Amino acid sequence: MLTYIIRRLLLMVVTLFGVSVVIFLLLRIVPGNIADILFDSAGLIDPAEKAKIVADLGLDLPLPQQYAQWIGGLFRGDLGFSYVSEKPVLDEIAPRIPITARLAALALFFSIVAGVPLGVISAVRQNSGLDYGLRVLSLSGLSMPSFWLGLLILMFCVHFFGTIPIYDRAPETFWAWFAMLAIPAAAVGFRSSALIMRLTRSSMLEVLGQDFVRTARSKGLSEANVTYNHALRNAVLPVITTIGIETAFLFGGLIVTETVFNIPGVARFLVEAIRWRDYPMVQNLVLFIAIIVVTVNLIVDLIYMVVDPRIRYSE
Amino acid sequence: MAGWLARMALVCGLMVSAIAGVAHAQKQGGVLRVTHRDNPPSASIHEEATISTDMPFMAVFNNLVIFDPDSEQNRPDRILPDLATSWHLSDGDRKLTFQLRDGVRWHDGKPFSSADVKCTWDMVTGRMDGKMRKNPRKSWWFNVKDVTTNGAREVTFHLNEPQPSLLVMLAGGFSPVYPCHVPGNLMRTHPIGTGPFKFAEFKQNESIKLVRNPDYWKPGKPYLEGIEYTIIPSRATAMLALVSGKFDLTLTGELSSENAKEIQAQVPQMQCIVQPSNTQGNLLVNRDKPPFDDPRLRRALGLAIDRKAFSEILSRGLNKIGGAMLAPPEGLWGWSPEFMETVPGYGGDVEKSREEGRKIMRELGYGPDKMMPLKVTTRNVASYRDSSVILIDHLKSVYIQGELEVLDSSVWYARLLRKDYAVGMNVQGTGIDDPDVQFFENYTCGSERNYTAYCNPELEKLYRQQSMMTDFEARRKVVWEIDRKLQEDGARPVIYQSQGATCWWPHVKGLKLAVNSIYNHWRFDDVWLDR
Amino acid sequence: MSTTVSTDGPITPSAMSDLWYMIRRYPLGVAGAIIMSLFVLAAIFADYLAPLDPFSTNARASLARPNDVYLMGADMMGRDVFSRLIHGARISLAVALGATLIGSGVGAAVGLACGYIGGWFDLIVQRVTEVMQALPLLVMALVITASLGPSLRNTIIAIAIPLIPTVARVIRSNVLSLREMPYVEAAKATGMSEFRIAVIHVMPNTLAPLIVLATAQLGSTILTEASLSFLGLGVPEPYPSWGRMLSESAAEYVRTAPWLVIFPGLVISLVVFGSNLLGDALRDALDPRQRG
Repeated sequence: MLTYIIRRLLLMVVTLFGVSVVIFLLLRIVPGNIADILFDSAGLIDPAEKAKIVADLGLDLPLPQQYAQWIGGLFRGDLGFSYVSEKPVLDEIAPRIPITARLAALALFFSIVAGVPLGVISAVRQNSGLDYGLRVLSLSGLSMPSFWLGLLILMFCVHFFGTIPIYDRAPETFWAWFAMLAIPAAAVGFRSSALIMRLTRSSMLEVLGQDFVRTARSKGLSEANVTYNHALRNAVLPVITTIGIETAFLFGGLIVTETVFNIPGVARFLVEAIRWRDYPMVQNLVLFIAIIVVTVNLIVDLIYMVVDPRIRYSE
Repeated sequence: MAGWLARMALVCGLMVSAIAGVAHAQKQGGVLRVTHRDNPPSASIHEEATISTDMPFMAVFNNLVIFDPDSEQNRPDRILPDLATSWHLSDGDRKLTFQLRDGVRWHDGKPFSSADVKCTWDMVTGRMDGKMRKNPRKSWWFNVKDVTTNGAREVTFHLNEPQPSLLVMLAGGFSPVYPCHVPGNLMRTHPIGTGPFKFAEFKQNESIKLVRNPDYWKPGKPYLEGIEYTIIPSRATAMLALVSGKFDLTLTGELSSENAKEIQAQVPQMQCIVQPSNTQGNLLVNRDKPPFDDPRLRRALGLAIDRKAFSEILSRGLNKIGGAMLAPPEGLWGWSPEFMETVPGYGGDVEKSREEGRKIMRELGYGPDKMMPLKVTTRNVASYRDSSVILIDHLKSVYIQGELEVLDSSVWYARLLRKDYAVGMNVQGTGIDDPDVQFFENYTCGSERNYTAYCNPELEKLYRQQSMMTDFEARRKVVWEIDRKLQEDGARPVIYQSQGATCWWPHVKGLKLAVNSIYNHWRFDDVWLDR
Repeated sequence: MSTTVSTDGPITPSAMSDLWYMIRRYPLGVAGAIIMSLFVLAAIFADYLAPLDPFSTNARASLARPNDVYLMGADMMGRDVFSRLIHGARISLAVALGATLIGSGVGAAVGLACGYIGGWFDLIVQRVTEVMQALPLLVMALVITASLGPSLRNTIIAIAIPLIPTVARVIRSNVLSLREMPYVEAAKATGMSEFRIAVIHVMPNTLAPLIVLATAQLGSTILTEASLSFLGLGVPEPYPSWGRMLSESAAEYVRTAPWLVIFPGLVISLVVFGSNLLGDALRDALDPRQRG
């Protein structure tokens, strides 16, 4: 097991190295750089001034040298300076992470709380009207653009409550945070909950058909007992996997939702940074996202391994 | 006995406060919350040309002189002292000397002096290097030969030629006085000024916070405790937030007249003003590259445009129609309606113009079965795209089949610079309603903002001639003729002059806007909250 | 979309044969197929179905309410929403089909190659797909559209690229298991070349999971396009893209012109819904192990 973990960690480093190269190159094949964008606001380009900015920011250096500067800085804990704000990247990113983390956690919480029980109900009542209703509901959850849902919620709130949950200052208490983020989190989480529900349902169905469940039934255990003690415990594994997959997908939802609800988290910030060609910001943010995704996947696999010793990890 | 005394005291107190109320109705305190549309590229007003920087940071600074806030129109004859207490012309109007205010301090405690003024204009005229990353309004100061000081309280601008508009440019929001001792990158991220509000915080894509400057040189001002701008890129969200009471004021000119109508439908007491936003939609036609090197084709292009339809669609007919200069009554220098009738393409009968355009196109070998293909280039910004869509629709009327090419903002100016386009749809603003600003920024040979590089030696002479004229009526006649020539030549055909709306709750008092500029009234030292 | 699709199971001919059986067996799937057919028909015959020119602006119809002429109202520029939605089907279909075909095609080729060539090639491709999977789809698509610039073609490419690794992985594992199948072994014994085995025996059998996977991706490509356009980075004007129709400018008129927000959102949801229904049914029919 230890060798497995070490191997996975090494692979993680390789993956992250790859991500860093990909994002680095992808950004630099972009026509136009920060200098063009800076002039954009001034409505002109002065070639001499532009050349000076490019030189100041080191954008005229050979690519390998620029890359080495970035990665070298990373190892020293120096993420560089934002081109736009001229402040250290870390100072820009760090305060935004908790906001997005809270939103994502709340969304995940909602989606599990709603998705798992509904999935179980749907499986237990397979092919009933309730099952069909829930399946259609979950499919529609997967079909609605989350920004549309967000817009509809905003309109609804203004219409009925006269106010909207938009972020204008940092809340101070836990409940204030909850109140601020609950509605956006529900908008993002709806899609995930639909996915989790579908997965819970199908893995429940698979487990319900298996031998040990039949044995449990034949032993005369109550249906509820069978469902919750035997089937659900085993069906939870694939759900854990989904949660791993969802971390990556959740992020896509967070981008549009943070935009709609004006939440100053990392997801929206990434879009702005891409627009500004703020290379140091984009590079580090994307690498950060990749670290999260890869780490979550590793953790999910480890949990899997602990929970289900039948799985071997020789590849 | 005691009770009677107390009652008397109460009555007297009420009377005193009632009298005081008449004289000093303004209440102190409160934070003004404003919506902002996007992340300002930097906090340095001299380095930017956008309202995104100008509006939030103007309150940090002072100018030498300023447009009289009580005048609804920015006018050369309504200019008041700011950091300068008085000024006079000498040497055949080629020297403009300012006496400066005493006892003014920068927000960091250092005293303000004439050296700061000299420093600022040495910087923006390009004579001093290194402080700015970019200098968008260098063309404004073409006539300033030198700036000299005489002691700490006197500064003189030396001009090549007399220029009445110089004072007008100094009065605009884009001409603050910068401190000499603060390095450039700090001015972009943490500006220091002498103004009524101190810079407190600028969080990228999130918020800008200013706090009251307790040592402001105008006694008793400002009234507000602070100003907070929250960046809300989605206009729909910003409107919802304003209506729900989370904000007091919107970024000026950012809403459309339709938006304002919708807001007032929800909150009838909301104050909304729709006024020219100093931006115009115009066409960039690449006259150096075939096929548009043919003046007949340029003319046909111009004849296809139905300016009224643009105005109707984009603003329910509120957008004004005019040339390069803002149309009256808001604008000082625009054509009178009678004069406009005489300019080709501005007459009322669009069908007649288009028939003429089709005739030209038939002569060039095109027709309903053989449309001329054309790429219309524009930026990936909503206002640009919307205008281009209408343009392409109109071009069909003269047998031109337009295709839209949408460019990212990062590529747009580089392409313009390379002249790599046929027809571009462009939207642009000018800070001040003034002919010098307009002509020398956008139409003179060699200016960086002259995207089409239109260069007409005959007009160059006229630009300079009008620039020196002191008689308003006579100067306006020359300006009208220049503007007509620009439109006839298709230098950069102006399609519409935009209108923008600004909304605020009625508890915001003392807000004074001008009808011919959105850039010059954001000092906020008279604004107070009646909550 | 979840892509935990299993790998074996050839197409069962009986599942394709009886329409009535299909309707009874997969009522939701048939509903999905109907929705998708309408969608495809709208895209193909848009020129005949749309009552008005989707590009023609009209000042007098600006923000017109739904009426006899403008069935679903008109937008700010007076363009007919209904006609734009019908023509928008073309854009959505182009994006969905284009991105899915490119993504699945390239992914399948890469997966086949990995499964067959193996060794170093496989190892390197595996690492590359891991790199691509470490980035959320929308983030990848965002960076790619920003790099390439806004256009229909670039949007398709930007959405297709993140699909490649998912498909490649599934096909690869499928190929690996197929290679162990007795009939492949038998073909090998007769001296058939590896390339011919791949084309004749292995490729047809990867088709079923590929179809299932591709259908499952259709919906998410449409949603990704909508999100990109909403963020201002997808298919540009004047194309009547559904995502673009739903973007910022529409949201501003939510009180005075709610049809600008409601109809495009509904149409997107409906089509994605249809493709999901169809995808589920196809999975059940073609890939019985995943049946739920």
